Amino acid sequence: MLLVILWLIQDFLTILHGGGMQIPGLFILGIVYKLLFDEDIDGSLWAIWSAFAGGILWDLRWLGIPGFFTLGNVVVVLIVIQIWGAIPPQGRTRGTAFLVFVLMEVSQLLPPLLPTMILGGSTGLNFFILRQTYSLPAILVTMYLYLKRVK
Amino acid sequence: MDNKRNTTREWVHGLTALILALFLLGVSPGLGIVKNIVDLWGALLFIPEAPAVLMRDVFIEWRSWSRNKDSLNEEVTRLREENAQLRLDLAKITGEKIYSNDVKNNLRTARVSLRAPLSWWNEIRIDKGEVDNITQGIPVFYNGYLLGRVSSVSTVSAWVELITSPSFMIPAVIEETRELGVIAGDGNGSVVLRYIPAGRGIKSGMRVSTAMIGEQLSPGLPIGKIVGEVSSGSDGYATYKVEPGAELSKFYTVDY
Repeated sequence: MLLVILWLIQDFLTILHGGGMQIPGLFILGIVYKLLFDEDIDGSLWAIWSAFAGGILWDLRWLGIPGFFTLGNVVVVLIVIQIWGAIPPQGRTRGTAFLVFVLMEVSQLLPPLLPTMILGGSTGLNFFILRQTYSLPAILVTMYLYLKRVK
Repeated sequence: MDNKRNTTREWVHGLTALILALFLLGVSPGLGIVKNIVDLWGALLFIPEAPAVLMRDVFIEWRSWSRNKDSLNEEVTRLREENAQLRLDLAKITGEKIYSNDVKNNLRTARVSLRAPLSWWNEIRIDKGEVDNITQGIPVFYNGYLLGRVSSVSTVSAWVELITSPSFMIPAVIEETRELGVIAGDGNGSVVLRYIPAGRGIKSGMRVSTAMIGEQLSPGLPIGKIVGEVSSGSDGYATYKVEPGAELSKFYTVDY
């Protein structure tokens, strides 16, 4: 339910912003956040298929060609599962905050990468940089929530 | 063992999702049905997106209105300046002499009997007084333009405070723009028009005349013309130098 709400908020903000790709990926950020506290991260199939579904719906809504954000979202989830899964649950403390930050950054960097490369040129680069700038507050808020929750 | 199985299963699902995504990316641009699905999905999202669309439309409308307002203001400013310039040109062609003469035709003349060097720019004495129907406060002209006003009267003479006197302050109006200000002398031969709002397109050559004041000074008495801006204060008001129509270095007689 949380992921559906995040997807809709992201959609809402994108409309307000005039349909650009600059709005942060709140949906994939939500998946990453949930994965960080998933007891059985290696069995997190829900994350893979949620990312896939959310990505395909996003592509259908905003790009008209399914596959771009679908691919990016799935790659992000696989990376998070591999890296975060390699850390034993006892080690997932405040000390891993930097790693968490990197994973959240990856979740914002990868999905728009392919559409940006296709768009190309300075326009694509501007979109990409603007999106990363917009993403930073969302990442910081998520980091705050993470640090508040872990011991 | 379970952990290893989970990892394998996760990889299988992950790779399947990746292959599906790549497949969709590869084939969907050529599929007509994708367009229909996109339309259908857009239609389904119509209701949850309605508030955002409404908010965006309101914002766009507000921004458009704001831009139009700025554009109209610029147009008004441009037209106002153009109008002032046209009035100025018209006055140069026809107006200036006519209205000066209108004033001049109904006046009587007095001779300047004293102009003391120490108060050269402040006051003069004329050879007409109460017996000639001169009263305190009435305007005095030279060459059809306001020269000053009577400050004190005796039986056969009167003192006239000149327009260049620092204590001579009267409300005035710029004919072309109808901006109101205060005419004041500086005691050294100069006259300025104070308290005109800055940025109103005031140009050199615009005519200045007296404005709505009671007593003896009626509105519309010609004073002179603007010759340039002296200063523009931080309070949003500008001061302009005024060249009096009455030539203060040449007169031997005055009209009243």
